[in-house]
Amino acid sequence: MSATGAPAQQITGSNRFMLLILLVPGLLALMTTFLLPMIWLARASFSTSSMAAFGGGMTLEHYHAALTDPFYWKVAMNTLSLGVTVSFFAVILSYPIALFLTRSTSRWRGVLTALAVAPLLTSAVVRTYGWMVILGDRGVINGTLQALSLTTDPVRLSNNTFGATVALVEILMPYSILAMLAGFGRLNPQLEEAASMLGASKLRVFWRIILPLSLPGILTGALLVFVLAISAFVTPRLMGGGRVFVLGTEVFQEATVTLNWPLAAALSVVLLALFSSVIVIYQRALRRLEA
Amino acid sequence: MSEHHVVVDNLVKTYPGAATPSVDHVSFALPKGEMLALLGPSGCGKTTILRMIAGLIEPTSGAIQLNGREISQTPVHKRNMGMVFQAYALFPHMTVAGNVAFGLEMRGIPHSERGPKVQRALDMVKLGHLGDRRVTQLSGGQQQRCAIARSLVIEPELLLLDEPLSNLDAKLRDEMRDEIREIQSRTGVTAIFVTHDQDEALSMADRLAVMSAGKIEQIGTPREIFDAPANEFVAGFIGAGNFLSGRVTAPGEAEIEGLGPLRFEAPARIGSQVNLMVRPHRFKLAAPGPNAFTGQVDSLVYRGQILTLGISVGGKRLTADLHTHAGHLPAKGETVTLAVAPGDVTFLSEAAA
Amino acid sequence: MSRFLWHGLIALIYLFLLAPILVVVIVSFDTRQYLAFPPESLSFGSYAKVFANQTFISAFGRSVMIGLAVGLAAVVIGTLLSMALVRYRFRGREGVNFLILAPFLVPHIVLAVGIMLVLAPMQLLDSYTGIILAHLGITVPYTVRTITMSLMSVDRRVEEAAMVHGATPFAVFRRITLPLIAPGLIAGGVIAFLISFDEATISLFIVSVKVSTLPTEIYNYLEVSTDPQIAALSVLLIAISIVVVIAVEKLIGLRRAL
Repeated sequence: MSATGAPAQQITGSNRFMLLILLVPGLLALMTTFLLPMIWLARASFSTSSMAAFGGGMTLEHYHAALTDPFYWKVAMNTLSLGVTVSFFAVILSYPIALFLTRSTSRWRGVLTALAVAPLLTSAVVRTYGWMVILGDRGVINGTLQALSLTTDPVRLSNNTFGATVALVEILMPYSILAMLAGFGRLNPQLEEAASMLGASKLRVFWRIILPLSLPGILTGALLVFVLAISAFVTPRLMGGGRVFVLGTEVFQEATVTLNWPLAAALSVVLLALFSSVIVIYQRALRRLEA
Repeated sequence: MSEHHVVVDNLVKTYPGAATPSVDHVSFALPKGEMLALLGPSGCGKTTILRMIAGLIEPTSGAIQLNGREISQTPVHKRNMGMVFQAYALFPHMTVAGNVAFGLEMRGIPHSERGPKVQRALDMVKLGHLGDRRVTQLSGGQQQRCAIARSLVIEPELLLLDEPLSNLDAKLRDEMRDEIREIQSRTGVTAIFVTHDQDEALSMADRLAVMSAGKIEQIGTPREIFDAPANEFVAGFIGAGNFLSGRVTAPGEAEIEGLGPLRFEAPARIGSQVNLMVRPHRFKLAAPGPNAFTGQVDSLVYRGQILTLGISVGGKRLTADLHTHAGHLPAKGETVTLAVAPGDVTFLSEAAA
Repeated sequence: MSRFLWHGLIALIYLFLLAPILVVVIVSFDTRQYLAFPPESLSFGSYAKVFANQTFISAFGRSVMIGLAVGLAAVVIGTLLSMALVRYRFRGREGVNFLILAPFLVPHIVLAVGIMLVLAPMQLLDSYTGIILAHLGITVPYTVRTITMSLMSVDRRVEEAAMVHGATPFAVFRRITLPLIAPGLIAGGVIAFLISFDEATISLFIVSVKVSTLPTEIYNYLEVSTDPQIAALSVLLIAISIVVVIAVEKLIGLRRAL
């Protein structure tokens, strides 16, 4: 028997009732906040009525609109390219931090880990605002450039895709750091020592030992950032100043401004499909990597 | 049966999906104030029996009576038992006194009466000065004492102990062994304890039940079990032994293959096959003669008061424990003769040839 | 030398990671009507303005109330679910596990549209019930995680000891189990509170005027203006986050909770 004591209970008559009491509130909550919304979403994307999931008949027109309108094709492309760029840079910047935190023996390691992960627990709106301050026309960077008389007119850093990308990279980095920290368990200083003793240079130790062993963690981090980036809307909207069109901003637009809910639902389903296919590809890649 | 305080009758536990029962028709009865040890190798079902008596596991079938009442359907918390768990299972978020007071609190004893009772229980286990300590600050031995106080303060009708000494180091174990025994006889509480350690069982229990594969092989006083084991399993599990089998050639005499004739004191039919055993400490150094075997010493283990030596005789190995104060001690390679009195040969079983 | 470069690189990345927070703190002491850097003079003027802004004050109050309700409900539901998942083996257990993790696997914006569609016909858009339900779905996975972790570290023998010595099943839970899982419970509740308190994406779909939360008010404000009032407000939000981070780190460790 394990250290934590007796094995879990088998279900008998008397505790079946207890189990029901334990499960019902949670299942009801998850039903209304997850299962039903997913079903309503799917149904609404075929609905002919603009404000109700189950009103009216069935139609494919919203998918037709979402998949044939060149504007939405452009939006989908924008979304994909934003996702790829953001995850690329987030991984590039997270990798050194995760490597540093994994290998560090400093007594500050705990604090530094908390510092790298803690931004997750500060509001994305607040951090987006921080980037508006940094990249704005009269913000930190432009202010500094002008104070140094390097430029007279402000350099366009925000209200465009660049600003949205930079902000998203920073906002999503803690996720990839967390994923990498979890995935770097196999990284063992003794392996590096063994490789060095066998005559490998520092660079070769990195290429032949560290990188291959940390690849699954990197991949997980990249995936996480990618899926979060393609579904983001607060940051692209605020940093893009209304000039960055991605699936997230368009879903929001249709749902709350245009009030075309079936189209918002159809676009959400497209986003979900994109999301799922990336996860499937990722799992294939990971399996191959580990085989 | 009514004079017995605890009666276990045909108790069976079969876990779902298991091919054989973990506890297989176990019955025993225990008079008030006695201490019974359930002894056996791990997995023999002894802990399962203890947990069924406590009410932590539901029996598949069978009855458990306490003080004349049938309790196998009584919920755990109404059985009024005390239990000392293997790793003590103290409540880590409470003080020592808080742990001891818990059972009283659950019984609705008012606060004013709890204090003196808790103090008496703690004094009994010599923890009277540590009541305010957190249990996590206690040493292993102190945790053990705290667990005992917690289980006795409620004046249980039955005290259960699950491998109570297994988490202590050797020196503490001897100390606690005597102390548990002393507390048990002083309070007069009826107790059942589970152990895999034969020394523990022999020295602490009034009676022993030796178990294997879910069944009780033999139940009796320590002396009965040691000197008159019912079968090969009991003989082998309790103490060491030289197991010898042979054919009965004359009343009280068997021809042991490779050794020659061996006399014993038990009725056995001539021509039948018998299994006999000689405890190592029953052998004495002697001159060659009847019931004596001569061979070369090929192993010697010095254990302080006792010297264990092994000799080879006609392809058989015999082991003997000699007291080190008994004059001449043989050296390795020396030829010695080991003799045993016929009354010291244990008769185990007989089978028709 | 290479070690020096390596540590320099790490420091630079940390600077990037923390830059928006640092900048927000500095700007919050500016009082101009528009966003500019560096501040001309430092004062608490923006903070005074925030405290005088009725919109923000009442949104703050609503966010706290919603957060508390969500935290409490997520802890209760999380405790019940964790007890079922840790203590029982039953058919459909994998399904329940999946359902709990599923909200992690779906983009919040997609979930937001779905929840909006469910709440609308029930007249629950822009209501406390609606927003609390919506936040419950994304916070229960966290409370289940932290409470399950705590529950798995509880020694079953300790509970059995309580039972044998006379505790009813309810007394065992209240006197033994509950105190022992309290760190996971509090950590989960605190995280759930903060997620609800900081959440903007789903809230923006669910609320408009009546139960607008602080993040949605900030979002709406930022669509129009970026003056230092928002910085002062942000600093207050960051302060709450820091308290939560420290609490969670002390209770069960930040990395295990997220």
